[in-house]
Amino acid sequence: MTTLTLFLLASLLLLSIGLAGLITRRTLVGMLISVELMLNGAGLAIVAAAKCTPASEVHGQLAALFVMGLAAAEATLVLAMILVVQRRFGKVTLDEVSSIRANDSAGGH
Amino acid sequence: MDQAIEKILALIWSPFNALEELIAEWLPGQEVAALIAYGVYVLIILAGGFMAIGSRNLIRAMIGLVLTFLGVAGLYLLLASPFLAFMQVLIYVGAVCVLIFFAIMLTRNTNEGEESKLPGIGSALYGLLAFLLPLAVLGPLIVKNVPKLTLQSYGQTETRLLGEGLITQDVFSFELISIILLVAMAGAVFLAWRRRPTPEDPPQPKTGSAPSLSTKGGAQK
Repeated sequence: MTTLTLFLLASLLLLSIGLAGLITRRTLVGMLISVELMLNGAGLAIVAAAKCTPASEVHGQLAALFVMGLAAAEATLVLAMILVVQRRFGKVTLDEVSSIRANDSAGGH
Repeated sequence: MDQAIEKILALIWSPFNALEELIAEWLPGQEVAALIAYGVYVLIILAGGFMAIGSRNLIRAMIGLVLTFLGVAGLYLLLASPFLAFMQVLIYVGAVCVLIFFAIMLTRNTNEGEESKLPGIGSALYGLLAFLLPLAVLGPLIVKNVPKLTLQSYGQTETRLLGEGLITQDVFSFELISIILLVAMAGAVFLAWRRRPTPEDPPQPKTGSAPSLSTKGGAQK
């Protein structure tokens, strides 16, 4: 058990929890929460790997900062998508959305 | 009297000392206080994570997410990266969670929404599989194959070095992430834009739960 192992195990835990949430959640908002968990685990793994190996620690931390920026951009876009889906379908449940879309394309929208 | 107080204090501290010896025996050469802090942070992450994916109320799930973010910020502090811990709190807790809160509130999806039902048995099984599979596959890989290394430097990473890196070696990535943020923001505004109906527009059919996609009108303008 080294320091790197411990931190990588913590990020692996975040990945597992996020994946499980992504599958069990029904709505887009719940899935967004799970994706944020996984992205956080990725950032933690990058920082730990850069800090505990001979790699450049500055480079690793900047990469984690970029991951945070990407997560923020992604959350913004997903919020807009959720708004559009809510306006269009009245619900943000995945099953609901896919079935309505099938009906809608038959109606020739 | 003083001796009695010392005895009581020793009695109070004895479990902690025993724990410290136990950890020192289990993981030689590690900072015991850091390990205890690591354990506390991982417990926070676990509790927050399971709250985030398991709670039937999405607001509670978001609180769990905040808890997880704070735990990860603590792990960044343990890695002697205080700037990243600060950014974690600022960006994730401050910005991303507020966005998620907006998403929850705008979809009116709090405690009587779709998430309040328990997942079906098949979905729960797949979820368990998705939880266990990465642990079973990647966990042994990490434990066995990670090289025996300790922290490269115990000193804090200076924020000045991070800033220098941003304008020298990583300047291209920096500009790229700026453009990505700008495009994402513009795209979000465009998607969520609700055009006000003008008098010459034909009245929109009121379909109640499924109003038409307003961005289509915006695109034609």
